[in-house]
Amino acid sequence: MSDRLEVDHVKVTHHGTVLVETGGLVLEPGTAVTVIGESGSGKSLLAHSLLGTLPPELAVTGAMRLDGDPFDLADPDSRRHLWGRELALLPQEPALALDPTMRVRRQVAGGLWKAPAAVARRRAMTALDEVGLAGAAESYPHTLSGGMAQRVAYAAATIGGARVLIVDEPSKGLDAAALDRLAALLQAHLAGGGLLLTITHDLGLARRLGGQVWVMREAEVVERGPVDQVLDAPSHPYTRRLLAADPSRWDWVPAAPTAGEPLVTATAVSKAYPGRPLFHDLSLQIRAGERWALTGPSGVGKTTLGNALAGLCTVDAGTITRTEALRRPRLQKLYQDPALSFPARVPLRAGLSDLVRRHRVDGARISTLAGSLGLDEALLDRRSSQVSGGELQRVAILRAMLVEPALIFADEATSRLDLLTQEGTLRCLMEEADPGCALLLVTHDQSVARALTDNRLELGEIAEPATSGVRG
Amino acid sequence: MSTLSLLPLESRTRRRRWVPATILILLVAFALIGPWVFASPFAQDLSRYLEPPSLTEPLGRDEYGRSVVSRLAHATRLSLVLASLSVATALLLGTTLGTMAAWRGGWLDSVLRGISESFVAMPALLIVLLFAALAADGSLWALYAGLALAQWVEYFRVVRARAALILGSPAVEAAELLHLGRLHVVRRHLLPELRPLLLTLASLGMVTAILAMSTLGFIKVGLQPPRAELGLMITEAFPHYDAAPWLALAPVVVLFALTVSLLGLRRKEDSR
Repeated sequence: MSDRLEVDHVKVTHHGTVLVETGGLVLEPGTAVTVIGESGSGKSLLAHSLLGTLPPELAVTGAMRLDGDPFDLADPDSRRHLWGRELALLPQEPALALDPTMRVRRQVAGGLWKAPAAVARRRAMTALDEVGLAGAAESYPHTLSGGMAQRVAYAAATIGGARVLIVDEPSKGLDAAALDRLAALLQAHLAGGGLLLTITHDLGLARRLGGQVWVMREAEVVERGPVDQVLDAPSHPYTRRLLAADPSRWDWVPAAPTAGEPLVTATAVSKAYPGRPLFHDLSLQIRAGERWALTGPSGVGKTTLGNALAGLCTVDAGTITRTEALRRPRLQKLYQDPALSFPARVPLRAGLSDLVRRHRVDGARISTLAGSLGLDEALLDRRSSQVSGGELQRVAILRAMLVEPALIFADEATSRLDLLTQEGTLRCLMEEADPGCALLLVTHDQSVARALTDNRLELGEIAEPATSGVRG
Repeated sequence: MSTLSLLPLESRTRRRRWVPATILILLVAFALIGPWVFASPFAQDLSRYLEPPSLTEPLGRDEYGRSVVSRLAHATRLSLVLASLSVATALLLGTTLGTMAAWRGGWLDSVLRGISESFVAMPALLIVLLFAALAADGSLWALYAGLALAQWVEYFRVVRARAALILGSPAVEAAELLHLGRLHVVRRHLLPELRPLLLTLASLGMVTAILAMSTLGFIKVGLQPPRAELGLMITEAFPHYDAAPWLALAPVVVLFALTVSLLGLRRKEDSR
């Protein structure tokens, strides 16, 4: 058997700290290998060590064989000539990987720089057609959605005919429809005899791709095996914890209390951006203690509706009334990127102490809350950019809890976090919030919405109320 | 969360700031201490006409037999003080108005923008010249007011644009939802974000002001003799360039050192 990629041993270190150490990886045609694990476990580093694209300050040792040819992983240039032809990477955040000044077709054709220009253009067109984007060939990347940008990146990565495809966190920020298309592309690559290594924290994607699953934690692979065995009968406690973090298995969500007084009422509201209607003639009422989810694919106006309900933007028609219970600061918002919701150049504590002074909150509550949220108080002396996303979202929850809100509007607050961090963060939110506090969750993740909320409003092509929870 | 982006990047090449800082400190010390140490800059001694440099008189004497090193110290002090005052005034005025325009918007913004644009339409030196001409005897006040008014627009425009961005950010939205008040927004959001920008602008503004002053002195419309001023000193030394080249070179070197050290101090607008 030579038609395969074998990694006997690989070790990545940074100033003596081991970031990845594993071996025995074998990629075979038609069989997917999927690496799962939380952020910081070394998944991406493993992928990049195979490609030879790690930052130079990381030291790599190890060896791999492709079709029997040996390569030294310590030499980053040894595999350079394989890029695009044998080894290809579908990067994280594909929208950032595309050149914003270049039209899509030229960008894809760039993968065939050795072929005559006309041939490259024709092949690029075919590749775009295969991913269903022939119509976008002359567009610039910023006009594409996240899912479309990813398919363009896929076309650009694979046009050189690379058999080994390495995919890094492909599902981040994608809605269900985009995720379906991505899974179909990866399955097609496998069906065509390709080798596939996928890095993800999306267990659903791992299941769909089949093959082998590796579970990584703190630089090591703690469990490996066929996907059904690992995901259905995990043997390592960490794998079990990872699986339990899937929203469909959350068992800690407290029952919602009976709904109280109305807090915010929207009557027949409509809003459109130029050339793009968002919602039309929509009515809903959120009462104290209720948990609402606004769901739907990206770009349908979930966040806009949430902002309108929170009084952060206006609507074109209809009325929104908020009761006195929501006077500032009783309505709090959690942001998708918490780093942007804190002043960037001062320590986190500075903002919190302003809050304590302004609203005459007991300053000791910061410590109490930090304790129950599992936050090291020393974190508060850092700036927002020096704290990880999951921790910062918990600082944002802490900040919101200081003012005892009556309604929390969580705008995709966990969509960029891995499963374990997502569970930890939302659990903190539900446990710290007053039982009477209402929750408005904006998410594209139906499973999170189902797990946490009783009232759901699905925005989509038909901007009609989709559940019986809608009152008008 | 990308693992790769969490790793410390290769530390950026740091600019060596201690060289310009040392030069500037020496110049400031010279400007502050010099007038005390050396003889009066106005005392004439015609018997020492164009005396060459010596140990007691490091830069010699000029055409009226006045101590050049003493005049240079006075001129440097004048340049630094006047430039600092006018830059501070322009900065305060421009920042306050720029923040107000960004915060209030509406008619206030339109009016302030209109005023600032009419200032932009006029060359800065012309404004200074106008003030210098209005106060005929080359008064310090006219020069100060002219320099400040010529510069405030820069601060206004930059601050207005940046403040509008900051005030529209999610961080300020969150602060408003938390009902933290204006003082918090100014202290924690606006000032920390604007500070590096203002420092950069101010050091450039110092250079502009010092050069504008000496330009006016050079064409003899700024400060008048017998006051010691860098540009004026260069002009006065020109007729004796062959006999006493150090007379013209000394103020040129000081001007050059001031400019280079101020520009060298300018911080790169740092990212977070």
